[in-house]
Amino acid sequence: MAGLATSFGSGAMTNSFAELAHSKCLFVIGSNTTVAHPMVGMRLIEGRRNGGRLIVADPRRTALAKLADIHLRLRPGTDVPLINGLMHIICEHGWQNSNFISTRTENFEELHDSLRQWTPKYVADVTGVPQDMLLRAAELYARSEASAIVYCLGITQHRCGVNNVRSLANLAMLCGQVGRAYTGVNPLRGQNNVQGACDMGGLPNYYPGYQKVEDCAARAKFEAAWGCTLPARNGLTTIEMMHALHDGHIKAMIIMGENPVVSDPDAGHAAEALSRAEFLLCLDIFPTPTTELAHMVLPGASFAESEGTFTNSERRVQRVRQAIPPLAGRTNSQIIAALSRRLGHVMPNDEPCDIFDEMCALTPIMAGMSHARLDTQSLCWPCPHQEHPGTPILHQTGFTRGRGLFAAIPHVPPAELPDEEYPFLLSTGMRHAHYLTGTMTRRCGILERELPELTADIAPADARRLNIREGARMRLTSRRGSIVSRMHITDSVPEGVIFAPLHFAEAMVNLLTCPALDPVSKTPEYKISAIRLEKV
Amino acid sequence: MPSSYYIVNAARLPDLLQAWSKQGSLLCPQRKTDHAIQLATYSPVSDICPDYINLHMSPLDVLNGYEDVLFHWEGNERSYSASPPAAADSPLILYGVRPCDLAALDYLDVFYLAEYTDINYARRRQNLTVIGLNCNRPGQFCFCPATGTGPHAHSGFDLLLTPDDDLYWLECATEKGKTLLATLKDLLQPVSQDALRQRTAILEAECRASFDYLPDLTDIRKAALQGFAHKLWEEISPTCIGCTGCTAVCPTCTCFQCNEERLNATSGRRIRIKDSCQTEGFTRNAGWHNPRSKVAAVRYRLMDKLVYIEERFGKKGCVGCGRCIEVCPAGIDIRTIIDSLQQDCPPPEQCKPLPTCMPQRIPTQKDENLYTPHPARIVDISDEAPDIRRYVLRYTDEERAQRFRLSGQFFMVTVFGVGEIALSIPFGDQHGGMLEFCAKKVGKVTSALAELRVGDIVGLRGPYGTGFPYSSFEGRDVLIVGSGVGLAPVRTIIVRLLEERQRYGRIAVIASATRYEGLIYKEDLKKWGNLPGVSVQYALARPTDAVTAHVGYINDLLPQLAFDWPNARAVLCASPRRIKLVARDLLHLGMHARDIYTSLETHMRCGVGKCGHCKVGSHYMCLDGPVFTYEEMLQLPEEF
Repeated sequence: MAGLATSFGSGAMTNSFAELAHSKCLFVIGSNTTVAHPMVGMRLIEGRRNGGRLIVADPRRTALAKLADIHLRLRPGTDVPLINGLMHIICEHGWQNSNFISTRTENFEELHDSLRQWTPKYVADVTGVPQDMLLRAAELYARSEASAIVYCLGITQHRCGVNNVRSLANLAMLCGQVGRAYTGVNPLRGQNNVQGACDMGGLPNYYPGYQKVEDCAARAKFEAAWGCTLPARNGLTTIEMMHALHDGHIKAMIIMGENPVVSDPDAGHAAEALSRAEFLLCLDIFPTPTTELAHMVLPGASFAESEGTFTNSERRVQRVRQAIPPLAGRTNSQIIAALSRRLGHVMPNDEPCDIFDEMCALTPIMAGMSHARLDTQSLCWPCPHQEHPGTPILHQTGFTRGRGLFAAIPHVPPAELPDEEYPFLLSTGMRHAHYLTGTMTRRCGILERELPELTADIAPADARRLNIREGARMRLTSRRGSIVSRMHITDSVPEGVIFAPLHFAEAMVNLLTCPALDPVSKTPEYKISAIRLEKV
Repeated sequence: MPSSYYIVNAARLPDLLQAWSKQGSLLCPQRKTDHAIQLATYSPVSDICPDYINLHMSPLDVLNGYEDVLFHWEGNERSYSASPPAAADSPLILYGVRPCDLAALDYLDVFYLAEYTDINYARRRQNLTVIGLNCNRPGQFCFCPATGTGPHAHSGFDLLLTPDDDLYWLECATEKGKTLLATLKDLLQPVSQDALRQRTAILEAECRASFDYLPDLTDIRKAALQGFAHKLWEEISPTCIGCTGCTAVCPTCTCFQCNEERLNATSGRRIRIKDSCQTEGFTRNAGWHNPRSKVAAVRYRLMDKLVYIEERFGKKGCVGCGRCIEVCPAGIDIRTIIDSLQQDCPPPEQCKPLPTCMPQRIPTQKDENLYTPHPARIVDISDEAPDIRRYVLRYTDEERAQRFRLSGQFFMVTVFGVGEIALSIPFGDQHGGMLEFCAKKVGKVTSALAELRVGDIVGLRGPYGTGFPYSSFEGRDVLIVGSGVGLAPVRTIIVRLLEERQRYGRIAVIASATRYEGLIYKEDLKKWGNLPGVSVQYALARPTDAVTAHVGYINDLLPQLAFDWPNARAVLCASPRRIKLVARDLLHLGMHARDIYTSLETHMRCGVGKCGHCKVGSHYMCLDGPVFTYEEMLQLPEEF
């Protein structure tokens, strides 16, 4: 989010899902869309059926890559060289949109100068993608009438994640493929409401609606509305909080609906940190390895027991309606309000519609929304007033920040690459049968049967060399930990790469992953760690 | 059954529904908040949807429900009892079923009620009255005229309504239908059969003419089987995201999986829930082997609908409702697939021969306890090999233990509260009520079995499947090849042959494994090898000091047997790949493909041809097999 916010002034998806089905060119990078975001994957497949051309940049030959017109099978961690290389080619051939650059953006010279070194030959050497493919992809993206970029955690979960995103923003601005229908830079969110959580101010540096904590005027507005004094400094990110807990700077923690023991990188560290808490309170709908460490667990409410709104990746705010009363007695907002009351601050509103209306009153981008309006339609923010129809396409006349900001993006190689001792590169992600740490999906019989245990992908040549049979169990070891996994032999991973999903508490891939963080967003480098394989 | 014909004023329909609602639980199409048309319980104030393309889900969804109890159990390790669910279903009336779904019901009756009658379905079907509603306009995805199942129905209903402006034509086809009409004579105006037929034929023709896209299903079996290796399967399978929506909405999809539910420490139940062949877990076995690739799974669903169901049951597997097209997020469209297959079907002179091996349906057998296991006690346990154990079981019901006569090829063995697996019968008819099984500890159930001790109780259903045809072996040389646990299913035949040793020619047994330690029945093999006219040989990948063994392949040992090959019989139990390699050499030696027998043990889950997991082409391994001749095996699609 940080990367896109710097370039454009807003970190969210610029366009809407439905548009993807009508793009002339879809450039999907770092997203196994049909598995991780099937409903968006459906639009991509529909787009391809409608005659749109599909470029997939992914080290893995995913199902989507098999359908692509061009599959750029880059080496893991070489996204910036790839994109810089594409931009080099585009500038060489004069395919850039000079009008867009001059009227809508700034700092183009800095980018242009930085591209000089990224010649096709050099880029092919660094990324492993043949020069002719680079050329075809660059031409297709730059010269198509409407090209859209779709990316996901394959771009952001690197220590250079922000750089990767800014590179994609550069590419879109260079070709003027943003601010119009069927174009844009479209990050996919991992959960139904992660966008809503960000919009609501669930970030250490923002109040609701991306109003900065460090902005005195914004702070004063919220202090007045809430009748209390608010801290003047930014808070900590979750990973920083874990470190602070570990080091004793944080004493107590409340965790709602998260399972950091399984989902955090270098997971042994998270468990250690949480067990040092003087007081750990968890709120969840099922027991998890994280709730096991809690001093107190409160029974949360599921989506079906909740009233309110969800906001999806395309900034679309939609009503969720309570289907059954909370089995455990309280909704999550009632629990939060009760906690707040006991901690000395009485929240005036605990009806979901009142809370939402309060947020809209304090948040310019949602000022025109209310439960009443959302009862009959969904709305994409910004929606500044009651008559406003919402904004499915951002940056149409100007960027949120004014002019789009180009930047020269250097290549920062991954923190930990394979070596003699740990010769394989481990990349992590999702399988279609399970969702995140599996606390819900692993309780569903058929989904659990579909993938009952950790199964890691290995390339046929590697499997032959190590004499591994399909379904055999191997030990995966990194500098931080060791787990046992079944092996699945598939040419979807390139030689030297192991892919493993993170769903399994009994075989936590995040015991292995590298704790390197992006310096700006603090996003961990889940996608690249070095491991070795051993017979069990 | 004399049919009867009427017209009804459309304005009187609410009166009909009101009257029918008094004769049972009446479900009518109603529009839900998400705009889906669902069958829901009638009430005088409920908002009956008068005009709709089709029900969102097929009536099978209502009929089978989401979960369906197969049996309850009570007890502990030492004393279990199991009983089928009590039969207490009340009359159910479905109003507004479209012709495509009526055709599906026609197939479901054949599928569920014949062979091993599915008692749960049978009970509900008996109490079900179906009121059909003919269509007057097609939906975007409908193609029933192509499958011959619509837009008007010609069978499968008790009552059938055809809308015609401000009136309905009403046809009554059954006694159940008559019962519904008995008290409504003043609402009905009798008409002649001719009048009804003439008018509805016009209405049907009008509706039929308004379909704008119909695939050509003429001789689709030929086109589909010729297109088995068509490139379209490779093209569409990456687009399938495995959401299983197609099988969830299909009115002819019946596959289920069993879930074990514990109610408390001493009781539980087995329920079945709808399963999908579009998942990997559907065919993958506990040892992680999956005979169906992703491409094969995508192809299987469509081949089943277009070919296999009709081959076996003589009914349309696809009824043209179009639900799978509407629901597919990847746009997989059975109509365009049919078009491609038809278009690329080679001319007759270039066609490959079509399979001629058709399944023989077994006679109908009705058993209230079809899904309920009978308790049996473990009377002995012995270790055969690392992770492989031999269990001797005896029915706790002594009468059953004594009455039991061997047939078939396998039993379904339940560990109560854990699950059920198919185990081959490795014993002969002289068992004296002692049933022996061998199981390797691989998955959930075999692991739970390994925890049990002598005196503990398990459940048995069976025996099921076809066994080896012993009588045809008389007077002939017999070769028996077993690889690894593959020896378990062939042990039956060895024991049977040895019981009447004088009837047969030479007997040769070849046991194969990676290591000698991995073989089962080691002592039996040694004993058999000492009998006159019986040779036992070992083909191992690693050398051993325990016995004289050939280090190499089974094939290496064949020529030196010097059998009367053209008249010999062979039984091969090994991986499909190994079976083919050995069979090829046997054919070279002069054997006939029809004289080579194999046992294809694939992921059998229910044992009675209902759950769908073991279906290969139009054959159910549990009913038609697992014993097949090599000749038959070659005609099956290679998905076992």
